[in-house]
Amino acid sequence: MAKDYTHIILADDDEDDRLFFTDAFDELKITTKVSTYNDGAYLMEYLLSEDAVIPEILFLDLNMPRKSGKECLHEIKANSRFKNMVIAIYSTSASEEDIEDTFVKGANIYIKKPDSFKKLKKILNNVVTTNWQYQANGLNKNNFLLRL
Amino acid sequence: MKQNYKKSWFVKIIFVVSLFVILFITGVTYKHISELSKTQQEVIQTYKLNVELEQILSYLKDAETGQRGFIITQDSLYLEPFFKSRSKINNTFAELKALTKKNSKHQQSLKDLNGLIEARLHNFEVASKMALRDQTDVEKFKQVFFEGKAYMDAIRKKLNGMLALENNLLAERKESYENTIKFTPIFLYGLIILTLVLLYIAYAKISSDLDKLRKTNQQLETFKEATNQAEIINKHGSWRWNVEDDKFYFSDNLYRLLGEKPNAFKATIANFNSYVHPEDRKKLEEQVAQMKIEKDLPFINYRVVHKNGNIKYLKAYGKSISNLEGKEQLIGTTTDITDEIDYANTLETRNKELELNNKELQAFNYVASHDLQEPLRKIQTFLSRLEDKESDNFSESGKKYMERINFSAKRMRNLIDDLLQFSRTNKSDEILVVKDLNELLEDAKQELSEIITKENAIITADILPKVKVIPFQIEQLFTNLLSNSLKYKAIDKRPQIKISYELVAKNNDFRLKNGTHKKYHCFVFKDNGIGFDAQYTEKIFELFSRLHNKNEYSGTGIGLSICKKITDNHSGFIFANGTPNQGANFTVFLPA
Repeated sequence: MAKDYTHIILADDDEDDRLFFTDAFDELKITTKVSTYNDGAYLMEYLLSEDAVIPEILFLDLNMPRKSGKECLHEIKANSRFKNMVIAIYSTSASEEDIEDTFVKGANIYIKKPDSFKKLKKILNNVVTTNWQYQANGLNKNNFLLRL
Repeated sequence: MKQNYKKSWFVKIIFVVSLFVILFITGVTYKHISELSKTQQEVIQTYKLNVELEQILSYLKDAETGQRGFIITQDSLYLEPFFKSRSKINNTFAELKALTKKNSKHQQSLKDLNGLIEARLHNFEVASKMALRDQTDVEKFKQVFFEGKAYMDAIRKKLNGMLALENNLLAERKESYENTIKFTPIFLYGLIILTLVLLYIAYAKISSDLDKLRKTNQQLETFKEATNQAEIINKHGSWRWNVEDDKFYFSDNLYRLLGEKPNAFKATIANFNSYVHPEDRKKLEEQVAQMKIEKDLPFINYRVVHKNGNIKYLKAYGKSISNLEGKEQLIGTTTDITDEIDYANTLETRNKELELNNKELQAFNYVASHDLQEPLRKIQTFLSRLEDKESDNFSESGKKYMERINFSAKRMRNLIDDLLQFSRTNKSDEILVVKDLNELLEDAKQELSEIITKENAIITADILPKVKVIPFQIEQLFTNLLSNSLKYKAIDKRPQIKISYELVAKNNDFRLKNGTHKKYHCFVFKDNGIGFDAQYTEKIFELFSRLHNKNEYSGTGIGLSICKKITDNHSGFIFANGTPNQGANFTVFLPA
């Protein structure tokens, strides 16, 4: 597997959000390869296929048709094949239950979708450049929700 | 009850004592009467004795007279009384013997007398024979005649002696009798008085007991009526069951519970069962059978069907006890719990409605938090993209419109966020944990770090205690209070917020008059902001209440309402105080 660029996957049913996401990465000066999937079912279909390239970071929307983000998270965490994959929850809401739930299920970070493109870029840059191996040790519920 | 038993003993004792006194009086009276009759007997006997003795003398005189007649006339006719007197004297003598058999002196005298009489009579015969031979003028006859007189004198003397003795005896007896009966009337009279007194006491006692009994009966009547009324108002009825003779007693209201008039049917288990709901009949019968064995059973619930078809829910309890005669008796109470059941059903329905409402509210929360935020967020993001990429192509007014759109969008976001926060600030499923409030204050400051840095605000705080709280809510409270002070800062001053802490007793602060705890943690957030007029101290906590035009200050009117809700959730209080242009302070009380 070529290590020239970072593999990133976004699963989100919202077309606009997918657009913002890819636009943001286009403008960031990082070498990334971003693929997007329209819902959880498509995502899992790909990830579980034989020739899938396991991404470094998966951005997971919670509210998706067919298969929700939480279901995907559950399946991914149950499969050792994805144990090194960083999972970032990427959701409109930041309700206590959702944050608690996904933290317990093993997501690495919770991102509340920002309301400006600038912030989005800042957040994505931050997440991609974080050393997750190091960060994982200090992970706790208080810094689980990303604040900038 | 025990005291009454004692009282009845008292009456019994009085009666027994009275009985003994009367028996004693009877005995004494009997003794005296028999004494009296004995004395009388003796008096009679004395007189009889006198008479008999006189008689003897008289017979002797008759004989003497007859003898003298014969001597003078030689006519045997005159001898008649002499012969007759002989047998008469014998008869009288036998009488005298019988009369004096108890008196040895008399007996002795009688013996002597008998000898004298014999001698005298013999003398008569000798004299008579001599007269017959006409030897009356001889010396011997004279001597015989003289002897006769001497005998006669001796007899008289003897008789007189006996009479004197008898009279003495009579006098002695009379004296002893008088001595005996001298005190008897007084004694008897006293005893009778005593008996009467005792009887009167007994009577008074019985009559007062009767009075008490009557009063107790009256109280019982009153109590019974009160019980009846209580049964009506409490919708319960009572019943008694004498197990041995299988007799039932139902109270009036028990009939009413079955939808009937009192005593509408004979009190039997079969009649009662005919009102019991068919589905519950078996259960009730089993329970009743069980009650006979176990004496004390838990409540039983069953239904009854009134004749008009109404179904009522009854609850019954029974206990087996033994009555005074040692007979087994089941005593029970049955109460109508239809209202309770209805109430519980209504409550359940209401609860379900509430649950449904809550679910709807949660659904609304979700819609607000997710679905409403999403288009808003996109509007904002697209706006930011427009500003970044296309602002060069806008005219001045176009840019101004953009700015206004942006401002409105931000405001809408704030409103949605705050509303959500407000609706989420619920107590029900949150658990209180002991938390260091210094940490929560730090977190709140962290949350507001951007604006704190921007405003160059000075925030100082006392050392805060550890308190049992819902941590994220208290953090929210601190955040909102700090944010409020920063929002309403004075334009010309550097914002300064001072947080002080002290532990206060409930009684030392009039604002805690409605508090339920003895001690409270008191936190004061004091700022140097624009303050507010004292008239708004209550209004400031109302939802959507704002004291300023929204163009001047960016508040949504929800933040302080959330603070109020949080302190309410913690059974605490929040109070606001302000002086226009000098600052505001917010006092938070949390139970210690």
